[in-house]
Amino acid sequence: MKIAVTGATGYIGDRFVKQAHAFGYEIVALCRKRPVLPCCHWIPYDLSSSQQPIIPADTDFVLHLAIYNSSNEQHNSSNDILAAKLLITSAKSVEAKLIFLSSQTARPDAPTAYGRTKWRIEQLVLENGGCVVRPGQVYGGKSRGLFGELLNIVCNLPFLPAFFPAPMVQPIHVDDLSLALLRIVERLKFDSGVVCLGSIEPVTFTEFLRTISSARLRVSRYFVPVPSFLVAVGMRLAGKDSSFERLRSLFDLPRMATESDLQKLGLLLRPLNSGMHFTGDDKKRRLLIEGRALLFYVLKGKPGSSSMRSYVRSIECLRGGDAIELPKSFVRWPFLISVIDRRYALTTSWHKEFLWRLNAATIIAEAGTFGARRFLGLGEPSSFAVSLLGIIRAILSEAGLWILSLVLLPPIRVVLKRKQVEKR
Amino acid sequence: MTHEFDVIIVGSGPAGVSAAFPLLNAGLRVLMVDGGKKAQDALPTESFLSWRANDAFQAKRMVGQKFHALKMHEAVSPKLRVPSLSYVFDQFNKENQIESENFISIGSLATGGLSNAWGCGAACLSSTELMSMPFPSSEMIDSYAAVAKRVGISGGINDDLSDYFGLDEWSQPPVKLDKIHTHLLECYGRKKIQNAFRNFKMGRSRLAIISKDHNGREACNSDGNCFWGCAKRSMYSAVDEVNILKKFPNFQIENGFIVEKIVKEEGGWRVEAKKNEDKVNCSLHGKKILIAAGTIASTRLVLKTLGYHDSISMLSCPTAGFMVWFPKFLGRTLESSLCLGQLAFTVQVSKNISAYGATLPASCVPVSEFIKHLPFTQSNSISIMRYILSSCIVGTTFFPGIYGRSRVLLDKTNTLNISAIEHPDRRALINKAKSVLSYSYRQMGGLLLPRGFKEGVAGSDIHYSGTLPMSENPKVGETTHLGEIPAMKGVHVIDGSCLPFLPEKPHTLTIMANADRIAKKIVSQSCA
Repeated sequence: MKIAVTGATGYIGDRFVKQAHAFGYEIVALCRKRPVLPCCHWIPYDLSSSQQPIIPADTDFVLHLAIYNSSNEQHNSSNDILAAKLLITSAKSVEAKLIFLSSQTARPDAPTAYGRTKWRIEQLVLENGGCVVRPGQVYGGKSRGLFGELLNIVCNLPFLPAFFPAPMVQPIHVDDLSLALLRIVERLKFDSGVVCLGSIEPVTFTEFLRTISSARLRVSRYFVPVPSFLVAVGMRLAGKDSSFERLRSLFDLPRMATESDLQKLGLLLRPLNSGMHFTGDDKKRRLLIEGRALLFYVLKGKPGSSSMRSYVRSIECLRGGDAIELPKSFVRWPFLISVIDRRYALTTSWHKEFLWRLNAATIIAEAGTFGARRFLGLGEPSSFAVSLLGIIRAILSEAGLWILSLVLLPPIRVVLKRKQVEKR
Repeated sequence: MTHEFDVIIVGSGPAGVSAAFPLLNAGLRVLMVDGGKKAQDALPTESFLSWRANDAFQAKRMVGQKFHALKMHEAVSPKLRVPSLSYVFDQFNKENQIESENFISIGSLATGGLSNAWGCGAACLSSTELMSMPFPSSEMIDSYAAVAKRVGISGGINDDLSDYFGLDEWSQPPVKLDKIHTHLLECYGRKKIQNAFRNFKMGRSRLAIISKDHNGREACNSDGNCFWGCAKRSMYSAVDEVNILKKFPNFQIENGFIVEKIVKEEGGWRVEAKKNEDKVNCSLHGKKILIAAGTIASTRLVLKTLGYHDSISMLSCPTAGFMVWFPKFLGRTLESSLCLGQLAFTVQVSKNISAYGATLPASCVPVSEFIKHLPFTQSNSISIMRYILSSCIVGTTFFPGIYGRSRVLLDKTNTLNISAIEHPDRRALINKAKSVLSYSYRQMGGLLLPRGFKEGVAGSDIHYSGTLPMSENPKVGETTHLGEIPAMKGVHVIDGSCLPFLPEKPHTLTIMANADRIAKKIVSQSCA
């Protein structure tokens, strides 16, 4: 199946092309610069040229992602609309279906020209049997697009505004959006209409910025409460300055009902915390935390980075790659793991998996120079007295842990049960 | 692809190579076909304790790049978890269409077969045991001598087990003992005079490990790498002999050739296979076929050729493992030493039944192998093992094959199904051995650790044999004294499957000697 993509080298286009190629689609990139990916065919295309793009005759879909960017808003709008018209004509000439990536701000009475332009293009696309996709706040991946600008702001400013009442956004990871676009392409019955994509429950813009600082940039930022009405006054005073225009959009975002569209496409969006991680999810981080706790417990000391990496890779290769979510207290005080380190401590499938992982951590921990010291005592002084004391200490520790487990096992059972329910 | 050979040998394990030598020496054209899997990993050149203490990349050897040790977490034998040995067992059941419910089927598609991962135990059958063979004992004794000299056996010393092993005449001196085993042997000698032992005998293990350079292999230097792979090739593996066979001009080998079918044709037989990963159809022609693919694979091949779909019996040795602690040696510094059976023992479990076993230092096996058997939390188990390991030995005990009987059935889809049947006397026998061992080691200052005796469950038995036993007057499901299948003239089974009985003692040398004997008989027949 062949998909022609405008804006193929942009923030979303770049991810989409890679994903589509991985799924086996043939991609024709319509853009100004030759894409870095050698896998796609390139047709030079400039949105501002007012020329009708030439689309290969065997194209099945045209995905329109490109937008015109200049400081002249009026110019932008007319260019975008003209380009859309020309693209629709081209798509129709080869009987390709058009998918247009619009915006959450699109509506006839949008406060910004951007929102109104998007709405007008939407109407053109829908009239011609195309499909319109309205994404929420796109984030994740490389520092590009609006997300890149927000990253820069959070990175450079120690103090950030916490507007109240807080504007709400519906985030969607750039890879989830790419996948959604592919699912739209894949659907056998291609429906014309508007598809809304974003988190089902909106989050405050402040929460979004806070997640950028904590999960992506790993920095702490202070949030200064700013009344929204002051921003509105500021915007009025500044006139139609473009940087304030975006803020205007933010304060005027309509809430989208995304649940049914996500269901239709069979999509489960990744949680914001997870998606904000540089790699696109924080599975690996969670596994590292789990591995560190288990290895620390086994080694009775800080594990080496190679053992931790080895643990993460082993779980990814053999157990599906998801962390089992140890209670926070176990992560903080790994010796508490001993409470459930008994075959009959619990009878759940979670505990069975825990025992498998603990065993894996033991095998991995042993296979290192630190492990040779801990497991064989290599390089450590050895004598009858040292060994005897070591055995006595271990037996006394075992007795102590047994008593501790009598006390702690009931509450830990409750915590684990609650975690399982939450996960479900 | 068409070739004409006097003999085609299916399998390159100990039986296959033992049969090849007499055939090649007689000038016959021999083709050997095998699964062709080869070792991939570099073997350790430093001593075990040295690379454990210093090698930052030892996880590759102990766990494996693809986490082999974790994948094989449930496997019964620690050897199945060694990453560098994974090629030995890889794909055997799948390629040979073997399924089992309660039986752990182990075989090999590697060049050299299971001898790439064996315990190197060597023994001859006694004259009484040889009486049950359907041929004169003298034939086997000549072959034992030929094979033992070729393989290289160590442990030759006059002790209480000399007659039991019957190998001293052709053996090199024993490999050096570690401190605990030296103490054990001294103690045994002292206490034996006081009649301290009941139903227990001890002596040096007779091993297919060389203590002097032999046939291009280097003598054992006790570097403790037996479990992880011996770079000096001191431990016998048939793969080394395949390299010697390749020097014969009348020898040819086809690797990656897993035989699917044997078909009778004029003047001989045709073996058919799908070769290599590309599964190219191949057929080869030979006047005679010697099947030495390992008991399970050989049995399936024969049953499939015969179209025999009734269940038959298979023998295998039940096993038990144990750990003995010597408090006297608590705090001893670990030393590199031989990590296969240093001392052997026999236990008389009843009037006519004995068990055999061997002990080795506990420190050369991963500690995680023992931790899972301790009744403590993982963390404290490690601490305890760390302090007692240098004063412990571990051992394995083997029981006669009659107590590990299982049923083998080729179903209509030509899948071989194996199911274990627990012998009613098995438990009692193992418990009796446990009490004798516990008592005997106590006499020598050792304590069998609590939970330190683990009985192998039915279905985890080893040394598979006796599916197509040799008989003087073979009936259906039996073979002649040359392992020849009466309904398949010219096809001989020469591995463990043709042994009529399976003793508790190591049986590999007997399989090799029997293969040598059959090959010599074939040579004399062809000359006649």
